[in-house]
Amino acid sequence: MKKYYLLIVVTFLLFTFFAFTVIGNSQTDEFAFYAYNSTPVTDWDPSVEFSNGIVSLNNVYETLLRYDPLEDKFVKLLATDYTASSDGLTWTFTLRKGVKFHDGTELNADAVKFSIDRTIEMNMGASFIWAPVDRINVVDDYTVEFKLKYPAPLDLICSSGYAAFIMSPTAVKSHPDSWLTEGHEAGSGPYKLEKYQQERGEVILTWFEDYWGGWEGNHFKKAVIKDVSEAVTRRLIIEKGEADITIELPYEDITSLQDNKNINVLIGPSFQNLMLFFNTGKEPLNNKLVRQALSYAFPYQDVVSYCLEGYGRQGRGPIPYGLWGHSEELFQYKYDLNKAKELLEKAGYPEGGFKLLLTYLSGDEAERKTVELFKAKLAELNIDLEIRGMPWDSQWALARDNNLEKRQDIFIMYWWPDVCDPYCWLYSNFYSEEEPFFNLCYYKNKEFDSLADKAYKESGIDRDKATKTYIKAQDILMEDAPVVYIYDKKNVFFLNKTFQGFKDNPAYPNVVFFYDTYREK
Amino acid sequence: MLSFLVRRLLLGILTLFGVILITFILVRVVPSDPAAQWVGGRATPEQVEAAREELGLDKPIYVQLEHYIRDLLKGNLGYSLMTHQPIIKELKNRFPATLELVLISSIVALLIGLPLGLISAKAKNSWIDHFSRFFSIGAISIPTFWLALVLQLIFFMILEVLPSGGQLSMKIILFQDIPRVTGFMFLDSLITGNFVILKDFLKHLILPAICVGAYTIGLVARMTRSALLEILSEDYIKAARSYGLTERLILYSYALKNSLGPTTTVVTLAMGYALMNTFLVESIFSWPGIGKYVANAVTCLDYPAIIGITILGACAYIILNLITDIIISLDPRVKL
Repeated sequence: MKKYYLLIVVTFLLFTFFAFTVIGNSQTDEFAFYAYNSTPVTDWDPSVEFSNGIVSLNNVYETLLRYDPLEDKFVKLLATDYTASSDGLTWTFTLRKGVKFHDGTELNADAVKFSIDRTIEMNMGASFIWAPVDRINVVDDYTVEFKLKYPAPLDLICSSGYAAFIMSPTAVKSHPDSWLTEGHEAGSGPYKLEKYQQERGEVILTWFEDYWGGWEGNHFKKAVIKDVSEAVTRRLIIEKGEADITIELPYEDITSLQDNKNINVLIGPSFQNLMLFFNTGKEPLNNKLVRQALSYAFPYQDVVSYCLEGYGRQGRGPIPYGLWGHSEELFQYKYDLNKAKELLEKAGYPEGGFKLLLTYLSGDEAERKTVELFKAKLAELNIDLEIRGMPWDSQWALARDNNLEKRQDIFIMYWWPDVCDPYCWLYSNFYSEEEPFFNLCYYKNKEFDSLADKAYKESGIDRDKATKTYIKAQDILMEDAPVVYIYDKKNVFFLNKTFQGFKDNPAYPNVVFFYDTYREK
Repeated sequence: MLSFLVRRLLLGILTLFGVILITFILVRVVPSDPAAQWVGGRATPEQVEAAREELGLDKPIYVQLEHYIRDLLKGNLGYSLMTHQPIIKELKNRFPATLELVLISSIVALLIGLPLGLISAKAKNSWIDHFSRFFSIGAISIPTFWLALVLQLIFFMILEVLPSGGQLSMKIILFQDIPRVTGFMFLDSLITGNFVILKDFLKHLILPAICVGAYTIGLVARMTRSALLEILSEDYIKAARSYGLTERLILYSYALKNSLGPTTTVVTLAMGYALMNTFLVESIFSWPGIGKYVANAVTCLDYPAIIGITILGACAYIILNLITDIIISLDPRVKL
């Protein structure tokens, strides 16, 4: 028996000796490493993916245009030019010549028509963005024409980070339907998918030699997007220089990381905002005065300081700061308990005395902290707020219950754009619905609906005019107070000092366009 | 023995069916809309309805169950609502990494826990016994996530001797062909003779294995100690001593062998538990196992994935219990 133990001990020591060799700094200029906070793709099919996959697909596929909302301009990708008819119903795009897909075939108008028709027909993910399109015509090899059912901002739709990708018809047609979903691609982007290890949460991209933009200058030839779901691990590897870029670290970490000479902290606007939806179909929140009172009772600045550590700003209407359609002139509720009491008295609730149920997404600490603060303020008005954390699916199912009385009184959720258009908020969250979907305040106002529709149609023809109409529609919302606009979140990126060229584009949340980045030697 | 095995297997199949039935009903009772999940977060009501029809969710629940069981018999566990991938493929890709981690950590736990329990039983109430008790209880009660974070901080951040996580280094993944024969990295790298990958893998394995194995080390040490002490006070040991047999012979050949029954039971139960509960360790060390998949499936209410995982967990427990029974049956005192 003794010799067995001796053997075990020797094996163990050898194992330890074998494994414990000092690891050198793994930072090299051969690849870029993005430590992402979740799985970097859920479905590789560009017609279907409507989730985190935006971070991977936007490096592999390209759209006709890319929108830069901070400068309000379009970058020409697969299209070199486009025009819209004066009625906004016909859009003509001229395609870039000499663009190759990763399978070697060339981009042409047929490929554009095939890609968008496929996405519409599959009717999955964000395919609804193409709702205004009646038909797509191939004019010639490099000209494609979109006929719309009603005027719409097609340039914004074509530049969406979801469901607007152009793919190689040859590659797609020569494989079964599930081929793309299984982890293959048919794009024309600067990077090809080299390897996708779903179980590791790893996407490995490698340069596409024939990319139309060329590879002159400084670029990464390989890039890795990896799911590092634990925030502590993400912080450790960005501090050690193992990762080039990461996101979603606790706000409390930002100050100390700003002091780290090896890290750049980049803070910019995001188009994600947090909102409280009042149940306008049920007492007492069907009373506008009660909703206004509660809008005054909300501790906006406390939430921004405590939950976001200041990395956000109080919302001013549903359209987030930085996106067209947002107006700094719009009315904004401020925390004022006396005003809230006055309004409650006017509404017939001088002593408060009612109970409300609020549902939030369990596990979301920012939401939980926010509603806890609101609960404390409402208690001062003698309003009892019951807060209930639920998984998203259950929270949403309760909000869509056929029995209106069973639904929650207040629903809290984030919203962000699928197309960089104010209509994305106004239509989804406020437009009258027979069956509730995402209008979870159950708001119905015909005047608002017609203004939102009018603005949407105008936006395909005259953006300035549309902006004014969108602001008018938002004025109605501020008066009716179906929603509390808590905050517009800021995006915070943590970058290795040597990782250069990255520019945050809030139209494509958390996307790193690796082609623009490089290692500074 | 054979009739025992057949009996246990039939009982196992019955248990499995019960588990499937209960899980299927439970996950469908939770308010959620699988059709909406299938098409994506902001799909239109028309898209959701089309998906409901496509997935057969518009049919009564007993019809859905019948379809599910029919598919299951063909080895089809359905498709994940989130990734649209076959569940069987997703489990097959992830389970080996978890099994490998749990198996290796359990072996290490046995190698450490067994001698520790033996020494402390031999030297009862000595300083070694006190130290062993302190160590074992500490290993059992220390929160896994805390241990993982502390180890990561010390060995990655401060000492820089071990990696922060993952199964292999990024450079290896990017610039080497990863062998895939059995799906077990340890075996695959050995089979293909790729010692660079083996070395890299072992480096990555150390910290997660310690975290997963800590609980089992403590458990094995305590269990071995108490079982040995009980056995050492039995009449046949006294008789052996009176014959003048050496203490070493009594301890190793008579007592230790008979104490292995309870130890085996706890180790297999701990393994079964670890297989489905490595989420925290896998998450902190980015280990590509099933733990994170379990957590994602539950939080997203991905019901085909939840049922698939439950079936896998139930199978693992049934097999482990069967193995335990077989090992225990080697003891002639036990009649099957």
